[in-house]
Amino acid sequence: MSDAANTDRWIRWLNTLQLVLAGLLIMAPTVWMVLSSFKPSFEVTAYPPTLIFSPTLENYDELTRTTPFLSYALNSLIVTVGSTALGLLFGIPAAFAVSWTRISWPAILTLAARMAPGTLFLLPWYVMFRQIGMIGSYTALILSHAVITLPIVIWVLLPSFDAIPRSVFEAAQVDGCSVTRILWRIAMPLVASGIAVSAILAFVFSWNYFLFALVLSNGDTKTLIAAAFNFIGEGSTQWGALMAAATLIALPPLVLAALVQRWLVSGLTLGAVKG
Amino acid sequence: MSDTAATFTQDRQKLEMAALSAPAVLFTVAMIAFPVVYTIWLGFQTFTSTGKQSFAGLANYSKLISDVEFWHGLWITIALFVLSLALQLVFGVWLALVLFHAKRLPGIVRSLFISPFMMPPVVAGMMWLVILDPSLGAANYILQSLGLPPSDWLASPTWVIPTVALIDSWQWTPYVALIVLGGLQSLPPSVYEAAQIDGASPFKTFQRITLPLLLPTIVTAAILRSVDLLRFFDIIYITTQGGPGNASNTLNIYGFRVGFEFFNIGYASALMLTLTAIVFGAVLAFNRLRGAVAW
Repeated sequence: MSDAANTDRWIRWLNTLQLVLAGLLIMAPTVWMVLSSFKPSFEVTAYPPTLIFSPTLENYDELTRTTPFLSYALNSLIVTVGSTALGLLFGIPAAFAVSWTRISWPAILTLAARMAPGTLFLLPWYVMFRQIGMIGSYTALILSHAVITLPIVIWVLLPSFDAIPRSVFEAAQVDGCSVTRILWRIAMPLVASGIAVSAILAFVFSWNYFLFALVLSNGDTKTLIAAAFNFIGEGSTQWGALMAAATLIALPPLVLAALVQRWLVSGLTLGAVKG
Repeated sequence: MSDTAATFTQDRQKLEMAALSAPAVLFTVAMIAFPVVYTIWLGFQTFTSTGKQSFAGLANYSKLISDVEFWHGLWITIALFVLSLALQLVFGVWLALVLFHAKRLPGIVRSLFISPFMMPPVVAGMMWLVILDPSLGAANYILQSLGLPPSDWLASPTWVIPTVALIDSWQWTPYVALIVLGGLQSLPPSVYEAAQIDGASPFKTFQRITLPLLLPTIVTAAILRSVDLLRFFDIIYITTQGGPGNASNTLNIYGFRVGFEFFNIGYASALMLTLTAIVFGAVLAFNRLRGAVAW
């Protein structure tokens, strides 16, 4: 065995050690949340904290019994699916037009909107929606969340549309295809995976968004994220139910993100990094 | 003849393109452009507690300059921004290097690494609230079993901002790492080979070659994080609502509370426009920096 090979092995071992350490730091809090959600109520607040316990579903049971968790979940689903659909409906043709014409200001405008603090829009929306009696309506929530989903759809799809060779479109044009037909029949099938990634990212970020529903929803239309605030308020000792709620709220975005993890980061940088 | 036909097709094409982007543009005008103009107008209005509004000129802005709470919020915002960004960039680059040398990453490992920043920040806040509980939390138990003094974490006016920075860094360091990893993977291998032939130590190679070549990617990650960090809201609102006292009252939290707890929409508008200007200023400054470190 040469010295160099020995050093090499040491370095690799050290690297694996760091990787495991980083993995533990990243995973531990989430694992703790999930574990706590399955602990019997007297054990959740036990000090010193316990690692071994007999798992129970009582926290989940209590959560669904004492709070309208399922109707909050339904509200979240309506708002998220609605805003994702709206984002796709408006975003796909817009991204295609921006990619084709190279006129980029519509895309840049939506990106600028994504950078501004949400409260900047929430103040005028509140005044406007209140005047027309739309506070607490699904429409107001879906429209506000579409402000999150639209730039995601446009910016995830832009590089996909850009990657299609121009000659493909030109050939179709010569054959007399209208632009709309080219988009529908040729371009969209070619960027199908991009559309899937953008839809999932839009869904995740709409689901996770807190601020708008905090003000624009009412007791009947409150989303899970906005209701999370109530779960905390309900009692500092109800940790089990709180962690059960947290686990359930985090589940849909985590499952969806795992499906597209390979394409996720380049999509998340909204065009700033090509990966 | 063919000329007019060509113009006709071109005009038709332009029209069709306009029609394709029209829904998105109309939506953006209705939901973003018009509301922002309206906010600017609201910034010149004053609202009484009964909801009556009247023109106030620049009163909201002169109030802002003399408002101690605004300057405090600005300071908190900047402190949280600097602290979090530093943590996330340093650990993000470290993690990226570790991942880079691990060569292949199974999908499941990648999924685990993205899980913190894909979960709602509100959920991250809920779970850390329990972990960091001063009397029963797991964090203090670990500190004490290591012989270290416990902390009040989010309940301490001194430690609340570093704690929030820590929670946000837990969420977003893997994101920075994956961006930087993308940058690392796109670096030309030839430069490493040259350094190896020259007998450069790993540390020297990193300092003199990897880091300068990575800087544009790192600045990009910094831009993406800055936008979120300067308008920090979710984790603070769910854990402390700006407290204890006003110790974590960032500008975004302050503006929100002025608007929706005290219903002073005019002053809140002035605050939010100021914060927006700060965010865009930071993005432009970073963009110049990115131009300066590009290669």
